Order: sequence, then C-alpha cells, then structure tokens
Amino acid sequence: MSIILALIVLSPLVSSVLIGLLYMFSITQKPLRKCWFTIPALFAPLISFVLGLSGFLYVAKYDVPLHFQPYLWLGVGEYKIYMGFLGDKLSLFMVLFITFVGWLIHLYATAYMSEDKGYGKFFFYFNLFLSSMLLLVLADGPLIMFIGWEGVGLCSYLLISFYFQDNANVVAGNKAFIVNRVGDLGFLIGLAILFFYCSDAGFSYENIAGKISTMPLWLMEIVGIALFIGAMGKSAQIPLYVWLPDAMAGPTPVSALIHAATMVTAGVYMVARFAFLYELIPNIGLFIAYIGAFSALFAAVIATKQSDIKKILAYSTMSQLGYMFIAVGLGAYSSALFHVFTHAFFKALLFMGAGAVIIALHHEQNIFKMGKMRHVTPVVYMSMLIATLAISGIPPFAGFFSKDEILLVAFGSGEYIIWTIAVCSAVLTAYYMFRLFFVVFEGKNAKHVHHPHDVSWVMKAPLVVLALGSLLAGFVGLPSLLGGTHLIGAWLGEWGMRALHVSHETEWLLLALNIAISLLGIGIAYKKFYAYDLSTHKEAKGIVYNKFYVDEVYDLLFVRSIKKLSEFFAVNLDVNLVDKFIMSLSYGFIKLGHVVALMQNAHVRFYALIMMLGISAASCYLILVLG
Amino acid sequence: MSIGILSIIIFLPMVTAFLLMLIPLPSRPTRNVAFGVSLAIFALALYIYTHFELTGALQFKEFYPWIKSYGISYSLGIDGFSLIILMLIATLIPSAYLLLWKNERSKSYWINMLFIQSGISGTLFSLDLFLFYFFWEAMLLPVFMIIGLFGSGNRVFSTLKITIYTIMGSLFMFVSILYLGVAHYYEFGLWSFALSDLVNITSIARDQKILLFFGFMLAFAIKIPLFPFHSWLLQTYSNSPTGGVFLLSSIMAKLGVYALVRFMIPLFPDLFVEFSLYFVALGIFGLVYFGIAAISQMNIKKMFAYSSASHLGFITAGVFALNVQGMMGSAFLIVAHAIATGGLFLLVGVMERHLGIRSISGLGGIATKAPWFTLYFAIMLFCTVGIPGTNGFVAELLIVLGIFHYNPYLGVLSALTVLVAASYMFWVFQKAILVKSDNNVSHMKDLSRHEIVGLFPLAFLILAMGVYPDLFLYKIEPTLQHYLLDILHVGVH
Repeated sequence: MSIILALIVLSPLVSSVLIGLLYMFSITQKPLRKCWFTIPALFAPLISFVLGLSGFLYVAKYDVPLHFQPYLWLGVGEYKIYMGFLGDKLSLFMVLFITFVGWLIHLYATAYMSEDKGYGKFFFYFNLFLSSMLLLVLADGPLIMFIGWEGVGLCSYLLISFYFQDNANVVAGNKAFIVNRVGDLGFLIGLAILFFYCSDAGFSYENIAGKISTMPLWLMEIVGIALFIGAMGKSAQIPLYVWLPDAMAGPTPVSALIHAATMVTAGVYMVARFAFLYELIPNIGLFIAYIGAFSALFAAVIATKQSDIKKILAYSTMSQLGYMFIAVGLGAYSSALFHVFTHAFFKALLFMGAGAVIIALHHEQNIFKMGKMRHVTPVVYMSMLIATLAISGIPPFAGFFSKDEILLVAFGSGEYIIWTIAVCSAVLTAYYMFRLFFVVFEGKNAKHVHHPHDVSWVMKAPLVVLALGSLLAGFVGLPSLLGGTHLIGAWLGEWGMRALHVSHETEWLLLALNIAISLLGIGIAYKKFYAYDLSTHKEAKGIVYNKFYVDEVYDLLFVRSIKKLSEFFAVNLDVNLVDKFIMSLSYGFIKLGHVVALMQNAHVRFYALIMMLGISAASCYLILVLG
Repeated sequence: MSIGILSIIIFLPMVTAFLLMLIPLPSRPTRNVAFGVSLAIFALALYIYTHFELTGALQFKEFYPWIKSYGISYSLGIDGFSLIILMLIATLIPSAYLLLWKNERSKSYWINMLFIQSGISGTLFSLDLFLFYFFWEAMLLPVFMIIGLFGSGNRVFSTLKITIYTIMGSLFMFVSILYLGVAHYYEFGLWSFALSDLVNITSIARDQKILLFFGFMLAFAIKIPLFPFHSWLLQTYSNSPTGGVFLLSSIMAKLGVYALVRFMIPLFPDLFVEFSLYFVALGIFGLVYFGIAAISQMNIKKMFAYSSASHLGFITAGVFALNVQGMMGSAFLIVAHAIATGGLFLLVGVMERHLGIRSISGLGGIATKAPWFTLYFAIMLFCTVGIPGTNGFVAELLIVLGIFHYNPYLGVLSALTVLVAASYMFWVFQKAILVKSDNNVSHMKDLSRHEIVGLFPLAFLILAMGVYPDLFLYKIEPTLQHYLLDILHVGVH
C-alpha cells in the first residue's frame, strides 16, 4: 500500500519527462499534434489524485501513517538518508487538494495555452512542478523535502520566464529564483544545524521530533528562524515578497497553480510540519505571526492602488498568506491549513477567471481598460462573484469560515495588535477585491481595443467546479458555534486547535463584526467603483501605487552594489593588484637580466678589468684568510 | 614481466601519439584513431571500476625500479579517490572528442590531446613522488602547445604565462620532494621517493616541515588555483582553444585537489589538521570572491573561469573540513563540476565555431535557434547552480554539512554557495541564450548528431548522480574513511 506514495510523485514526473522528450522531438524533427501532450499531461495528475485519495481513505480507516523508503539516497559515515515518503494525515490532506486543484488547472490550461507554440514545453514544466510539489509534501524528512522545495522553485523560474524572448519575463524569473534562494540559504542553515543535532537515528521528521528536546533553547530558536526565512521566500512574506508580483509575467494558469494555490503555501506547510519544533519556541511563533500580520496589511494596502488585474491578485495572495502565518505563528496549525485549503479554491478560481477575462480581451491586463464584462462572459462573471465574496469573507462562502477562525485565534490568544491589523486588512481586502470586480464587470464606457469574445467551455468548466468548491469548501470546517463539526480540525488532530478562552457571546460578537467589516469594505468599493466611468479614469500616482519604492531600494542595495563590488574585485584587485604584482616579479627578472647583460658589452678592456678585479680579490682572500 | 592495466592506460595514448607522428596520416583519420583510443581507455576504466574492491587500500599496484641508485621507482596504484577521477577522465575525454569533431582540422591538435591524456593518467596513478613530478610537468607541455598553436588573442603571452607560473610553483614542490628523499636517506640509509616510504620519515624538524608543506602547497595552489594565485587563469582560459580550456578546467584543476589529498595528507597529517582552518576559510573566501568577480564579466569564458575558481575554492574547503561529509562532498563536486564546467566550455566552443568570439552582450536569442544546445546548456547550468536532482546539489549539500560540522560559523558562510553561482549563471543564461536581441545570430546552428551523442553521457551522469548519489558514493567511502581515521586520526565523523 505504501508504495502509492512514491507513485503519486512518480506519475507526474514520468509524464513530464515523456512530454519533454516528445516536445524535443516535435521541435527538432517533425511537429506533433497537441493530443500527444494533452493526454499524458491530464492523466498524470488524475492518477496522482486517485492514488492520493486511496491513501487518504486508507489512513482514515486504519489511522496509521504510511511509510515508504525505496532506497538509500545518501549514506555518509554513520549518517544515512533514505529517499523516504511519509503519508500521514497532514501530507495526504495536502496531496488531495494539490492534485485536485492541480488537475483542474491543467485542464483549464489545455484551453488557455492551446494556441501557444510552447504547448508541449508548458506541460513538461507544469507536470514537473506538480511532481516536485508532491515530493515536497510527501517527503519524510527535511532533506528530501528540500529537494522538492528547490524543485518547485526551479519550475517556478522556468514558468515565469516561459516567454523567454522578452527580457522582462526572464528578469522576473531570475528575480523569483534568486529571492527564493535567499530564503533557501536560511532553510539550508536550519537544516544543517538539525542534521548534526538530531540525525543519529536517521533524518526523518520522526527522529528529529524525538531528539529535538536535546537541543539548547537558543539553538532551537535559531533553527526556527532559519527555517522560517525559507518560508518567507517561498511564501512571499516581508521582506522576501518582492518576487511574487513580478512572477505574474508567467502564463495565467501558472499564476493560478503555482503562485496562488500550491507552491506559495509550501512555507505554511513547512512550519506546520515542524510544529514539534515551533511549539517549543513560542517567541519565534509570535515573530512569525507578526511578520504574517504586517505582510497581510502591507500587501492589502498596495493592492488598493494597482491596476494590473494579476498584480492585484498577487498582492491579495501575499495578504492571505499573511493570515495563514498569523495562524501558524500562534500555534493554530489546523486553522492555517483550513485557510490554505479554502484559499486554494477561491484564489485559483480568481486567477482562472482573470485569465478568462484576459483571453476574452485579447491579453489586456489593465482593469481600467476592461469594463462591462458581465455581459460578455456571464459564467465567468458568476464564478468571479462567488470567489470575490469568498475572499472578502462573506458567509457562507469558503473564505469566511477560515478567515473568521484565524481572527478568532488571534483574538483568543490575546494578541490584540495582530488581531487589529488582521481586521484592518480584512476591510481592505473586501474593498480592493470589489474594486476589481466592479471595474471589470460593471465599468461603464469601456473602450475595448479588441472586440471581446466569450471563452471556450474547457476553460469555463473548471471555473464552475472551483466555484462550487469556493461555495462549499468552508463547510468542512464549520465552527461548533454554528452547530457544525470541524472536520479539518478533527482530521489534523495532532496539529491541534488551540484551546481558546473565548466565551460564546464574544465569539458571536466577533462573527458579526467580521461580517460587518467585510460589508463595510464592499460598501466603500460600491460607492466609489460601481458603474465606474472608465473614460474619466486617470492613472494613479503616489507612494502606494509605486509599492513604497521597495523594488527600487532593493535594486540599489543588493543589485547595483554587488555589481560595483564585482567590478572592484575583478578590475581593481585582480588586474591592478594581484596580477600586477605577479607580473612585476617577472618583469623584475627581465630588468635584472638587462643589468647583468651590461657586463657582456664586447669591450675587451672591460673584460680584462673584471679579470683583474677577480684575481686581486682571490689573492687577497688567499693572503688574508688562509695566509 | 607483464604490463599492468594502469600502465596500458598511461602509455596507450602516448605510444599511439608517437606512431601517429611518424605515419603521414591526414587530420581526420588521426582524430578517429585518437577517439578510438579514448574509447578503449574508457573500457579499461570500466574494467577497473567493476573489479575495484571496497577497501581503503591501494589496488592494481605496479612497481618497477626505475633509477635504482637513487631509489626512484615506477610505482602505480589507485584507491577510491583516484578511481572516481579515472572514471571522470575516461568518460569526459571521448565526449570532448565528439564535441571537437568538426572544430579542429589540424593533426597535431589530436596528437597533443593524446599526450595530455597520458600525462593526466600518469599523474593520477603515480605513487612515487619523483614519477609524479615527472608526469605533473609532462602534462603541461602539450597544453603549452595547444594554447600556443591553436589559441586566440594574445595566445603566446598566455601560454608562456601559465607555463612559467606553474613551473615556478612546481619547482618549490620539486625542492621539497628532493629534501624528503635526502631526509629518507639520512634516516634510513637508503634512497627512496616512494610515497609509502617517505611517510615514515620522522627526523624532520617542525620548522622545516612547515616549509616543505608550503612548498607542496604552492604548486597545488597555483594549479587549482587558490586565491591569490589565480591571475594566470583568466587570460589562459579566454585565449585557449576549446579543447585546451576544457582539459584545463575540468581535469587538470581537479588534479591539484587530488594531489593535495593523495600526498599532503599522508606526508604531513599533523600540519594538514593544524592549518585546516586557514584553508577552509581561504576556500570559502575564494568561493565568494571569485563568484562576485564573475558577475561583471562580459566575456563568457572569463566568467566561467571565475566560476571555476569559485567552485574549486569550495572543493578545497571541503577537503580541509576533516570529516567524511566534507571530503565526500569535495570528491562529488570534483566530478559534478568537471562535468558541468567541461560541458559548458564545450558548448561555448560550439557557439564560437558558429558565431565567432563574442562578448555576452553580443549574443542573445540562441534558444529559439538551437533547442538542443539550450537544453544541454540548461542542464549544465542547473548542475553548476546546484539544483536538486543534479549531482551539483548533492555535492554542495555535503560540503556545507561538512563545513558546518567542522566549524558552524564557517558553515553559515559556506551556505552562501546557494546564492553565489545563481547570481551570475542565470544572468548569462538570460542575456546570452534566452532573450532575443538585435544581434545577428543567424549563423547559429543547433548541435549536430555527434555533439548530441557526445554530451548525452554528461547530462545523464549529472541527473543519475543527483537522483541516486549513493550508487556512486559507496566506492569512495572506504578510501576517505581510511584517510580520516588511519592517517589523520580525526574521529568517526
């Protein structure tokens, strides 16, 4: 049974390699029809989903995690690292929604990318990504997880710079890769420390958890921070978030799958996976929660002024990830994962809906050049409405329950500052999401450059499924207050809910407040942007529109200065100092040669003089010393 | 007297080369013969690999007296560490021939390649320090010829510079070797230059020993190169023809590290441990310094030269980390980096053949014209950067773990390796290969069938060693444990 864990990862990997080879064949030998790529690309995630589901049911039935270790990956000295897979409740939960949402986005992409020359290449990368992501969640130890972790980073790079002929796209890809690598630096440091303290019996989570208490507290805190730096990179939190908005240069299905639903939540998953560590260091947890809260607010503020539809969604992803980090930081892992789960549905839907609108308008991304889309694509309109309500936190849509739970955790833990920041971000979220929605679908006097057209049903069908998901996903975590059983909380029992000391009255009050603030945000957006006259729109200016100039500051601090340093090393030190010194040695010999060469000047009298001097010296020596 | 397999590996190319010089063959059959020889050597190496026993001892030993009156012997043997380098050479050189297939039209180019292969194998197998010195210098001569005859730019100056520079370094080593021989004579009453005899010397005072240590170290530091002995590197690499730069970067530089382990550890175990901290630090400094210097290079060969130096610094740091992770990582990075850098230089050679020598800003838009080229370039690049799934990742991970174990503070610095290569490699990939520019690259052609086949083993090894590293590591481990436990006495880790 446990072999299915490896098969879940292998299925997209094999299909990816196959598609890659077929693609190389098709561009160098003779072109192949698209179905050669479509069939493996769609089957692989489906197989993984079915296998994941069977593993899920198995674990649900027997309540024991699955282990699988096919081979010794690396055996050095007494340390042995196995290529190992762990299918417990947490990882199988992740597998289920990754493969399900992943499959839907694959399906959507077959339509979205259908006209593209790089169709085969796209699915080569896309399946490779899925495989890495599944390895990341199914790994049984941090080192194998790191392989998946870096693998998704690589695929993200490849897909962001998918249209590589355009410089901006490749620059965005490089930026994503390098910023993520800064995070990986932290991850690697944490991993190395853990390796030497906790790997006597093997380097799986289980062994580490058993040995973690032998570490001194300060070292645990360093490990906690180091690993979290990795999460900051991958999950786009302050200060390593700068790559995410630029990552929107990739095709829209990429933004939906990688930069919204799955990869960016890897950081949250990782912290939850290391719950055994973070529970021992609540200080670091609080730090994480604060970073999450500030990221949520910061991103929400920036999102209010953006005009590129995908960038707005990118900032909203960062903001929602901030909520998840609030929850994991405060130890409410199952709440965080609940939000990961609901977010995957509505955020994938938002991106795919945005993609449909972009396609309908012939690749227009500026929301102020859209407008009136309601009549063009009613299905997209409806599903976008559901997703927007879900992210804004309106019951009974999915986002409401999970966000409400996180706010409750923050309040119940007594972290009122975090709670206040989170509430403010919630108002802003409702505001900027409905700003987007009203402008795109209801805006008046739109001047479309091209005539908009409806999109195909292959694109719309996944939207409908995800819309249902965004409508219903919240009910798996219905709070007991409303008479529900919290299925996710029960499933992830080990990652426990925090016992909160909040009375029922307070809980009702908070619930009502949450709805009220969401409505407030929507109300403001309605007032300002409903039936917005697009012909009078002026491009925004100012510090918020320019994202607080963080990109510019980073560029100055890290890019330009390193280039200057590089020139200093290569020119001033290497050429003018090191090499000059070495060469001066050799020129010194030449000069010495010139001096000595003066002796050989073809003057017989000079030679005679030297001979005389020599003989005199020898005579003196003989007489004075020996004589 | 039968001839051992190691001797065949050394002398087959050399004898073939002499014969080819005598027989008036044109360039193309010469090349075919040379390629055939490299394949035969690959087969022999494979035989050795399969018959190699899992111990730390030297195997396939050969011993014949050479100059009896001074105890100089022809003594060969290999252990796990030389085995992997042998496999590396045996795999890389046939690939290089396939990549150079149409590049070089001169007969003497191929003959020099054969001589180089002999010199490298001799250096790798020698267990007598005199013999080692002989091969160490002998392998430089054909390189001198190749750069001087077939190089570009100011080739005569660069070939003189590298030759004189390295010979100067080697002279210090030579004096040290002679000193050891004399010391052996005084202590035991007979001459010997065999490594197994010289390690028994106890009569040398500490001060002299330190001088001898640095005499050896200077020769190796120039060859590797370590900071600040690297200034020959840039001109030499950028003016070398493809075959020359390939052999220099992917094989000869590694022999510096190899010799470090093979001779320095048994001869000076206590000093090796004592000075390890400085060399780990110097290695990491080189990693960062050369890595940063690489960023601003506009000549692609100069950039890869810096990149090479950066990785070799890291390899050296791993060797001095005094634990099995670090050493294993270094052994692995020797292989990984040889394959990746070698592959990259060969690919750059292909590009130069089609487009002439250009700076990075004069390139661009190659990916659409040459997909196979781009695919291989990407795989080599990912290996250099250390992406998981490639052997570069495993190697860098092991070295980082090793250095962490050695000293956590240096360990944190060594983790910078994840950023260093990425900072320039992705940039050059973007500028030179991916993004379309106004430059005319219409002459660029995709790889020919020879080249695709030639690079396949390299790409395959990069991925196979990344996915299942243990399959390749277990043969070296006993040797490294032997170095650490029996010679350096630095514990189990």
